[in-house]
Amino acid sequence: MAQAAVTSEAALERRRRGAAGRRLGDQVATGLLWAAAISVLVLLALFVGYIFFLGIGSISWQFLTSPPSEVTAGGGIGPEIYNSFYILIMTLVFTVPVALAAGIYLQEYAKPGLFQTVVQFSAESLATVPSIVMGLFGLLIFVYLFGWRFSAIGGALTLTILNLPALMRVTQEALATVPDSLREASMSLGATRWTTILRVVLPSAIGPLTTGVVLIAGRIFGETAALIYTAGVSVAAGRAAYDLNPFRPAETLAVHVWYTHAESVVPDVARIGNGSALVLLVMVLLFNVTARVVGRFLTYRFTRKS
Amino acid sequence: MMVEALVEPSIKVDVADLNVYYGSFHAIKNVSLKVEDRRVTALIGPSGCGKSTFLRALNRMHDLTPGTRVTGSVRLDGSDIYEPGVDPVVVRYRIGMVFQRPNPFPKSIFENVVYGPRIHGESGRDELLAIAEKSLRRAALWDEVKDRLHRSALDLSGGQQQRLCIARVLAVEPEVILMDEPASALDPIATSKIEDLIGVLKKDYTVVIVTHSMQQAARISDYTAFFLLGDMIEVGTTSDIFTRPKDTKTEDYITGRYG
Repeated sequence: MAQAAVTSEAALERRRRGAAGRRLGDQVATGLLWAAAISVLVLLALFVGYIFFLGIGSISWQFLTSPPSEVTAGGGIGPEIYNSFYILIMTLVFTVPVALAAGIYLQEYAKPGLFQTVVQFSAESLATVPSIVMGLFGLLIFVYLFGWRFSAIGGALTLTILNLPALMRVTQEALATVPDSLREASMSLGATRWTTILRVVLPSAIGPLTTGVVLIAGRIFGETAALIYTAGVSVAAGRAAYDLNPFRPAETLAVHVWYTHAESVVPDVARIGNGSALVLLVMVLLFNVTARVVGRFLTYRFTRKS
Repeated sequence: MMVEALVEPSIKVDVADLNVYYGSFHAIKNVSLKVEDRRVTALIGPSGCGKSTFLRALNRMHDLTPGTRVTGSVRLDGSDIYEPGVDPVVVRYRIGMVFQRPNPFPKSIFENVVYGPRIHGESGRDELLAIAEKSLRRAALWDEVKDRLHRSALDLSGGQQQRLCIARVLAVEPEVILMDEPASALDPIATSKIEDLIGVLKKDYTVVIVTHSMQQAARISDYTAFFLLGDMIEVGTTSDIFTRPKDTKTEDYITGRYG
């Protein structure tokens, strides 16, 4: 064998031993990593299954549409569902343009330097503020200082501050996935930087952008602590509960889950709590699924890349 | 000197005393070069010699890189593109560029070709279709893609993508086309298609091409400039450079004594 002539016996032996050891190591590592991945799946399945099991009995058309009750049994969560969407949409209307603009500026225009570093550091610091602290901040500013009392808009603005850094980050990361060679191609064809962003960079990043926005929408939908002291824990009675007026208290579904367990005196706390939790969970899961589907669809639509 | 003899034929791009700095690094040192109209000029030299840096100075691509400084002049038909008040955007559609790696946009083939005309304000469907067909024909790609204009450009092979990028440049109707090692990421067959294409394009366009392949420079170019460590050592007709180089450094390079 030509091989044996140049390779020493000792080296061949080392290879044999080394290969056996590496094979075992590889199998163990693969097994452990697989087990870790599976455990995530199992935890999710158990969790979702349990919430379903507890909550499914509470779900009825009446439960989903009628107003909550203060003292007697039989309350529903209609206005809470409405408020959750109302505050979500308001928050997105405030958050998305600002976060998008700031992210585009930082990623596409800002030159590395003090200003960029400071903005980046501020955003990261803001992102680490606990949501309950943000809620208390909202209480001081929107409820007391502005005198809006508990209001949907106060809640939405608090959630805006809470989620702005995350969405800015999402924007930056989405834009960073677009290779510079595309920017160069566009500029070399006589495009301005802005045209390049509008026609090449944003369409190429549309997938991760939408996914990011929808996932953050899920977070906004489920946010609780920041809303307790800003949007409040009550809903107006009757038709006013479905009002578009932003200056009224607006308890959301997530807050309602907390409230029924912590403060409410109705006798069917468990039924309402479990039912609300299930609805909340299904909504948030829907957001996640939508994020994927819409992200893919838009990517294909804008870039023909599947 | 050879360069002097070239002054009489029409000069499309006249580079004088060009310096490029990346921060404190002096990447191009006082280079002057006259590029003749409707000819192919090849820039050769070992990796890191500054040939791509020089090329990118010709359509102000360095403006996009913070920390880069350019001095000297680049005259296109007599007027300096670095003069204050000159819009680099206008410069870039007079001087198009093809890059080393094919970089089609993640859009359809059609949208890639008409990108330039679109951003310059053309919106008529028929006009754009006509431009797309004309440009793709000139880039020798039309027959291969005419039935799938609205499919993703990313489904094309590397060689097709590069010809698409050339079609995209042609659609803007530039006067000068800069090519930065346009075939270095392609296989030999795709490479020869690109080379044939350059031979056709020089009837209407002035082409400046960077290449690390001396054979390629010898095959396709009329003039060759040799770069080394940021200096331009020598320029002349391609046959002179390859058969009778004046400088020993050029001779060492073309006989294979540098990497």
